[in-house]
Amino acid sequence: MRNVAIIGCGQTKHSGRRRDVNLAEMVGDAVWNALEDAQVGPHEVDAFTVGNMQGFGGVAQPEQWLGDWIGAPGKPVLRIATGGSTGGCVAQAAFYAVASGLYDIAVATAWEKHSDSKEPGATTGLAHVSLGNTLNMINFGVSFKHLLSMVAAGAAAGVACYQAMYYMHRSGCRVEHLDMVAAKDRRNAANNKYAHLQWPGCTPEDIAKTKWVAYPFRYGHICPASDGASAMVLACEEVARKRCKKPVWIKGLAAYSDEENQIMSEGAGGIGILDASQQIGATMSAIKAYKMAGIKDPQKEIDLAEIYQPFPSQELMFAERLGLFDEGTAWKALEKGETDINGKMPCDLSGGVNATNAIGSSALQRILECALQIMGKAEEHQVPKEVHNAVAHGWGGATNYIAVTVLGDSPY
Amino acid sequence: MPYIKEQRKETISVEGDWDVGGSTTWKHSTLLQEYAQGLKEKKIIGSLCPGCGKVIVPPRNICGRCHRKMDEKVVVSDIGTVTCFVISAPFAKGQAKVLGMDPVEIGLVEEGERVISVYVKFDGADSNVDTELIGVEPEKVYLGMRVKAVWAKEPQGRLSDLEAVEPLKD
Amino acid sequence: MSSQSEIVLTRAPVPLVFGFRWSVGRMMEKFIKTLADRKILGAKCPECGYVYVPPRWRCGKCYARIAEENLIELSGKGTLLSYTTAYVELDAVGNFKDLDKPKVIGAIKLENADSTLFMPLGEIKPEDLKEGMKVEVAWREKTKGELADIKYFVPT
Repeated sequence: MRNVAIIGCGQTKHSGRRRDVNLAEMVGDAVWNALEDAQVGPHEVDAFTVGNMQGFGGVAQPEQWLGDWIGAPGKPVLRIATGGSTGGCVAQAAFYAVASGLYDIAVATAWEKHSDSKEPGATTGLAHVSLGNTLNMINFGVSFKHLLSMVAAGAAAGVACYQAMYYMHRSGCRVEHLDMVAAKDRRNAANNKYAHLQWPGCTPEDIAKTKWVAYPFRYGHICPASDGASAMVLACEEVARKRCKKPVWIKGLAAYSDEENQIMSEGAGGIGILDASQQIGATMSAIKAYKMAGIKDPQKEIDLAEIYQPFPSQELMFAERLGLFDEGTAWKALEKGETDINGKMPCDLSGGVNATNAIGSSALQRILECALQIMGKAEEHQVPKEVHNAVAHGWGGATNYIAVTVLGDSPY
Repeated sequence: MPYIKEQRKETISVEGDWDVGGSTTWKHSTLLQEYAQGLKEKKIIGSLCPGCGKVIVPPRNICGRCHRKMDEKVVVSDIGTVTCFVISAPFAKGQAKVLGMDPVEIGLVEEGERVISVYVKFDGADSNVDTELIGVEPEKVYLGMRVKAVWAKEPQGRLSDLEAVEPLKD
Repeated sequence: MSSQSEIVLTRAPVPLVFGFRWSVGRMMEKFIKTLADRKILGAKCPECGYVYVPPRWRCGKCYARIAEENLIELSGKGTLLSYTTAYVELDAVGNFKDLDKPKVIGAIKLENADSTLFMPLGEIKPEDLKEGMKVEVAWREKTKGELADIKYFVPT
């Protein structure tokens, strides 16, 4: 297996309504930005991996439309859809393409265009995803009150609500900590010119003033539904060393799926997992990725993390699962400022998914942001220290998909 | 909210509607029907995995962990424990629509009511059932609370026969 | 109760429509709005010269960026490359419906354009169609700046 590096990154501005462009134009923008950043011509790319969650934007097989907008004709294209971790899996698939020795340069791109759906935000897509189970339950006479109580919890947050309650119960974390995380993410996003929800100087008190959606989440905690695309160029060691001043090496990666999803399994049957914050997949893939990367003590060796956290409780929960904090202590580290830009373990300096959530693109952006930090190209949200190792994480479904990638400034 | 807003051109749209209701036929297994029939007799049915011994409620065909077929059905208790809960925001008229209907307008909930959704692990089961908790103030709900099933007055063999759970009285 | 679960069919009992409104982007919007003036715009790639109709801002052949100043007006006249006649159409729920009149669709190459347009053909009997015959656009009575302003193509 060869060493693989990221040699260029590109994004579009993410916002609630990118209706100045159509889907192909938007993804094309991201890909061409990445190719320009990598100084690679379109004819030099050997393979493409693309991904999004098509129910949200209503275009089936979008790669057929945007193929010749991104330079894909003549090259193999693979589309990947794994829920929220789509972007992470797209990047990992591009890694497989290059590491295998089959291709030298691969482009990974992922996107989402929520504004193409008539209903606001992610409503259409979420209805799409839960359609089978809902119709099944209606067929067997579920009461409207029960449906209502599911929608009341689920509409914006779904299983994340339950997940947060489990985490808060076990670790002692309180809603005030969720306010702190959300405020930090929106403050950080103000320093990221591609992010969606940018609130310069946002404080936890500002977040605490917003209305409740479903305890423990307020409006201010919930991620937006963004339009946007991001792309990366990956290359084998020979090309990377020749063409890129500071390539970012993918030192370790793993993806684990776990037992069934959402609040109940397909067919409305029960699920075996008792604790939605257990996330075995996250722990296992972190262990495997660190081993591959040669990292023995993530708390000491990882310089920053980009965690997939559409909800603030997940930043704390997944940080523990990834081994960055001891069990149940992430909220204490947050209080001490350890996850800030000057802290010991900066988390989501780009604002994370909490500030920008174009579903397909968001997990790819986690890897992209780590790469920018290592390259020193993160501009206003660049961490003021040398970054040697960073970890990026993607989460999809409820427990189904996890993708963990460890990046570094040297391949060994 | 003081977010940085940017103005972008809104180009015209091409419209399309996918009539899911009219065009889709769904095939389901009858496991949920067995479960609903059990509810008619005030029995909560789960399936037992011959490999790991887990009891999953409502029943499933295949165990998610050891991938064995779960053909055997067992009855679990109608008393259980709250393992998780979520409290909705107070409902207001005109705030949200479920399946095209306003829940306050049609009398499903009262103005200002907060609906408590809970995960309940009935004694004998290894999975949670998602249902509503009634008969207690939202502030008094806690993880580990003991609850009992509330049955519909006239059970009809539908999922709504298990209406909700309420706190278990000692 | 048999151990083999039987299959139950259900149609969605509630009105459930997923609506989409795909934004078209600037180039396509210009094309659509210019139809009101009974003009058809194409985009000529500044690098390789390939002309696209409808216009697009990235050449699909050489990937050069195409700008608004590369838009050109086309005559609306063209050649019929190929065609087919449809006798049935699909209703929204997967059934075939007979058409009152057969519908003819042609693959048309407009003068000075390189890409192909698929458009309905009107005022012609299917048996009179011939590959290579000359066709031109027939406009709607009142053009409004919509895609439907192009009624169909007719033989010249």
